[in-house]
Amino acid sequence: MFRTALPFILMAAAATAAPPDPDALLKQFDSLRNGWDSYVVRVSIRNFEQGKQDEEHLYEVYQKGTEKSYVEFLSPREKGQHLLMLGDDMWIYLPDTSRPIRITPLERLTGNASNGDVARTHYVTDYIAVFLRTETVDGASCHLLELTARRKGSTYRRILLWLRASDSRPIKADFFAASGKQLKSATYDRYQEANGQLLLRRMTIYDHVRQGSHSVIEYLQFTQRALPDRMFHQGRSERF
Amino acid sequence: MRGAQTGHLACLALLVAAPAAAQDAPADAALAPDQTRLALSLYEEPAFAAGLRIPGPWASNLLLAEPSFSWRHAQRWRLAASLAAIGSTDGDTHGQLRVREAWAGFTAGDFDFSLGKKILRWGTGYAFTPTGVLDPPRNPIDPTDRLSLNEGRQMVAADWVSGRHALTAVWASAGVFGNRPAGMTDTTALRYNTMIAGFDTAAIFAHDPGRHDFYGANFTRVVGEALEVHGEFAHRDSNAVLLGGKYMLRSGVNSIFEWYSPPSPRLGRYAYLSIGKSRLRELPGWKQWDLSLGLLANTTDRSRIVILDVTRRVADHFSLTAHTQTPGGKRWRSEYGMIPYSALVSIGFRYQI
Repeated sequence: MFRTALPFILMAAAATAAPPDPDALLKQFDSLRNGWDSYVVRVSIRNFEQGKQDEEHLYEVYQKGTEKSYVEFLSPREKGQHLLMLGDDMWIYLPDTSRPIRITPLERLTGNASNGDVARTHYVTDYIAVFLRTETVDGASCHLLELTARRKGSTYRRILLWLRASDSRPIKADFFAASGKQLKSATYDRYQEANGQLLLRRMTIYDHVRQGSHSVIEYLQFTQRALPDRMFHQGRSERF
Repeated sequence: MRGAQTGHLACLALLVAAPAAAQDAPADAALAPDQTRLALSLYEEPAFAAGLRIPGPWASNLLLAEPSFSWRHAQRWRLAASLAAIGSTDGDTHGQLRVREAWAGFTAGDFDFSLGKKILRWGTGYAFTPTGVLDPPRNPIDPTDRLSLNEGRQMVAADWVSGRHALTAVWASAGVFGNRPAGMTDTTALRYNTMIAGFDTAAIFAHDPGRHDFYGANFTRVVGEALEVHGEFAHRDSNAVLLGGKYMLRSGVNSIFEWYSPPSPRLGRYAYLSIGKSRLRELPGWKQWDLSLGLLANTTDRSRIVILDVTRRVADHFSLTAHTQTPGGKRWRSEYGMIPYSALVSIGFRYQI
């Protein structure tokens, strides 16, 4: 009986020992932030300095596929602003200029949570993933992935991402600039189902350039919605 | 009066806050097919001129109330309106109500149609836009229209968007409702916009009765991580050319530079330079500050004007702005030497909901 079971035990052991597929893990990570191919989500970002809240921003993010994002700014001071991301190309619409202004990749990185943190949530298209090793984080066994930017529109040059081995949920991440300097780290704090889809609901981004500064990003309301392609064209004169 | 105003603001605040509170519910209720956006900005700005060269008051005051409203139903129907109520005191007191925009829109298939008064800007330049045939007249001293006083044109517009291509056709009236401003004619305009190898390009044609036809093209292109370049070419009776760029340092300092040769370059060619930083430093007490220093020069008569803006945001709804203008050049014999003061300082206080 032992002889009969041995091949299966060895196969199971080999399967356990085999490194996980980093692309599959990253795809699963993306699905926790993008439940559907086309959807709308409300995003709240609260910035804290030394534990005290000092700013709050509210956005409505329209996402279609992996390349098209349209962000409407809803906070009182930013009302009327829109951000459009088409692959590597970005425009911002300001109510006082009433026209799309082309912005550079560097302009993505403002505030604790950058435009890229809000609008670029498909890591599969932005990064090449490599499995590094298994580590224990807070008592949980985790797969550590190294993500390297594959395009200039990627928000960060390099990311280290820890995913819990038992269910592949992200636990934390470190974000690096091209210089190798660590810019931020993140913890993935809360998940909740919506229409049968498990989705990330809250993450916290810690600034490593300015100690004591962090942002809490909350995904308040996901709605699956068929969004028309024309909504994502920079030349369309209609803006909400 | 003050109590009434506070009460009015409280009502508006409730109007805005109520849907926001409802949206904070954790449940994933589907977004309502009707979406409404309301905004109100109240702005008070006293201004003081130094070195006045003509008789007149050295102090003036501007009071602005700018409500805006938009409504969208099921990605198909849209209504939008934006008003500016202006009270100005410059010796005498004047009141004015400007309808900046008031239009209705409808979407059918790949087409968006709109009718009404609307601001359309087709140029890519910051201080100058020779291809902006339907743009509100640009004031280079105030390229961003910092007080949002520009008005749109009365028009019928149709957008066709398919894939990477967008075609816009517009018939804009010189003034259906009200008097036609002197020199303004009806305009029929077409614009084709697409992305080609990273170039966001547009070709523009316009016809105004009694004038030569207008042909223009513009582009923007991002180069590397930090540089954006843009350019415009326009031809009607003669050529106009704009070349410019925007460069951002890793520190967040943003610079914009432009060179402009207008259709009548004998009157002057222009250079524009702006250096600014939004959120001076990402530190408490600093990230509420924005700073911008601009220089606009007529390179032919060598006159110039320096513009400094300092803004401090206070809490979520308030901001304070200091705006200064310092013109220079041969007095009365150059473009910016014609400005009748040696310095203008204004202090603005804004409340937004």
